[in-house]
Amino acid sequence: MIPENIILSKNKKELTLAYGASNSILSAEFLRVNSPSAEAKGHSSDQKKIVSGKKSVSINSIEIIGNYAIRLIFDDGHSTGIYTWQYLQDLFKEKDEIWKEYISELRRKGLNRG
Amino acid sequence: MSDIKTLAIERLNILNPEYRDLIEDIVVANKKIYLSLKTDKSQVDKFTKIKLQIEKELIGIDGIDSVSVSLTSHSDSKKQAADPKNITKGISEVKNIISVASGKGGVGKSTTSINIAIAINKLGFRVGLLDADVYGPSIPKLIGGKQKPKISKTGNILPIKKYDISLMSIGFLVSEDTPMIWRGPMVITAVNQMLNDVEWGELDFLIVDMPPGTGDVQLTMAQKVPMTGAVIISTPQDLALIDARKGIEMFKKVNVPILGIIENMSIFICPHCNKESHIFGFEGAKIEARNKNVDFLGDIPLEIDLRESSDIGRPIMYSKSDSIVSKKFLDIAKSVVNKTMSTSKSKKPNIIIN
Ligand SMILES: Nc1ncnc2c1ncn2[C@@H]1O[C@H](COP(=O)(O)OP(=O)(O)OP(=O)(O)O)[C@@H](O)[C@H]1O
Ligand SMILES: [Mg+2]
Repeated sequence: MIPENIILSKNKKELTLAYGASNSILSAEFLRVNSPSAEAKGHSSDQKKIVSGKKSVSINSIEIIGNYAIRLIFDDGHSTGIYTWQYLQDLFKEKDEIWKEYISELRRKGLNRG
Repeated sequence: MSDIKTLAIERLNILNPEYRDLIEDIVVANKKIYLSLKTDKSQVDKFTKIKLQIEKELIGIDGIDSVSVSLTSHSDSKKQAADPKNITKGISEVKNIISVASGKGGVGKSTTSINIAIAINKLGFRVGLLDADVYGPSIPKLIGGKQKPKISKTGNILPIKKYDISLMSIGFLVSEDTPMIWRGPMVITAVNQMLNDVEWGELDFLIVDMPPGTGDVQLTMAQKVPMTGAVIISTPQDLALIDARKGIEMFKKVNVPILGIIENMSIFICPHCNKESHIFGFEGAKIEARNKNVDFLGDIPLEIDLRESSDIGRPIMYSKSDSIVSKKFLDIAKSVVNKTMSTSKSKKPNIIIN
C-alpha cells in the first residue's frame, strides 16, 4: 500500500506514514538499524551486520524513488537504504518483535544503542 | 552530506593551499567522494603523486568509504568530470521498474522484454533490462552471446551495454558449465545482487524478465523487487489464459499494479498470401483483460522473422525496426510508458518535512 503522506517530525527523529485513516510511526533509529541496503544487510542473512549506536540518529531528507519506495538520507551519512512501501509496512507490522530481537542481539554482542 | 564536502576542501587546504585551486568539481554521494582536478598534461607524474596524496588524505574522513580522484586536462575536462549520477550502484537512480511475467513458460516473455526495452529506448528513454530468470537465462542468447561484465573502479559490476540499453543476466556472471541448482533463498540472493551490486546508474525504465510461473519464488521476487508495475504476457490459447489469471492474482497479492496484458502469437500472417489465421484462438487475451479490468496493451503476431532474429541474437526491434512486428512493439512500448506514467503520477505520496 502506498501512503498518502510521509511526515518527518520537527526533531527529524520520527517518520509517520499516513494511509488514509491509519498511521504508522517509525523512529529514525529503528529505520536506520533496519536499513535494507545491500551493504547493511550483507548478501545473505548470516552475513547480516548489526548496526549499533544509532540512538540519536536523525533523518536529513527523504526522496521518492519511482512509485515503489523512498530513500532515507540519515545524518550519519547513510543514504543507500531503499525502503519499499511493502518493506515499510512489514517493519511496522512486526515493529515490536523486530525491536525486541534487535535489543537482545545488541546485548548478546556487547553493543549498545549509543 | 554538504558538510563532508566542506570538510574535504578544508583538509585539502591544510594539505597544500594550492590544491584548492585545482579542484574542478567535488561531489559527495553514498559515502564516496568524487573529486576531479584540473591538471596539466605535461606534468602527469606530478599530478599522479598529488592524486595519491589527496586520496590518502580524504579516505580518513569519517563516514567515507572510498575516494575517487580523476585528473582532467582542460581540453576534455567536461567529459571526464566526476559525475556520481553515472556511477550509482544499485537501483536508487532507477525511476520505474517494470516486470514482464506470465503464468506459463514459453509464451514469449524474454522475446517481448528485449524488444520492448529497445523500443522504449527508441522513444527516448534510458532503459535497462534485468534477466531475473536465473533458472533459464535467455538474455545472453538474445543479444548474440555471452559477454563478461567489467568491474568498475569502485568494485561494482557494470552492466553490459548493447543495442543502446544496459543489460544484466546471471548468464553473464556464471559460466555455462556450472550447474545451476538454485533453491528459493539463493534465487532471491542472486536477483538482489543483480539489482544492488550492479551500477545501473540513471535509468528511466528497468525491464525485468521474470522466470515463468507463479510459484513461491515468483511471489517472493514480486515482493522483493521494488516494482512500479507488471506486464503480463499471454497467448490467446485458453490454457495460457488460465495461467495469466494466476499471474494477475499473484501481483495483486503483493500490491503491484498490473499495467496490462500483452497478447503474443495472436495471429499468424501468412508470408505468401498475407492471410491472417488465429492459430491460438481469437482475441482471448483482450477478452480476459476486459473481464479482469486490466488494460490491453497490444498484440504481437506469430512471426518467423521474430523468432529468427531472436535466435541469431539480433532483436527485430533493432535489426528491422520498420517491420510490422517492430511497429507493434513500438506501439506497445508507448502504451507501457503511458500506463506507467499515469500509474506513478496518481499515487505519489506527499512528503511533509516540518
Ligand atoms: N510472436 C512470436 N513469433 C514467433 N516466435 C516467437 C514469438 N514469440 C516468441 N517466439 C519464440 O518462442 C520461443 C519462446 O519465447 P521466449 O523465450 O521469449 O518465451 P519465454 O516466455 O521467455 O520462455 P520461458 O518461460 O522459458 O522463459 C522462442 O524461440 C521465441 O523466439
Ligand atoms: Mg524467458
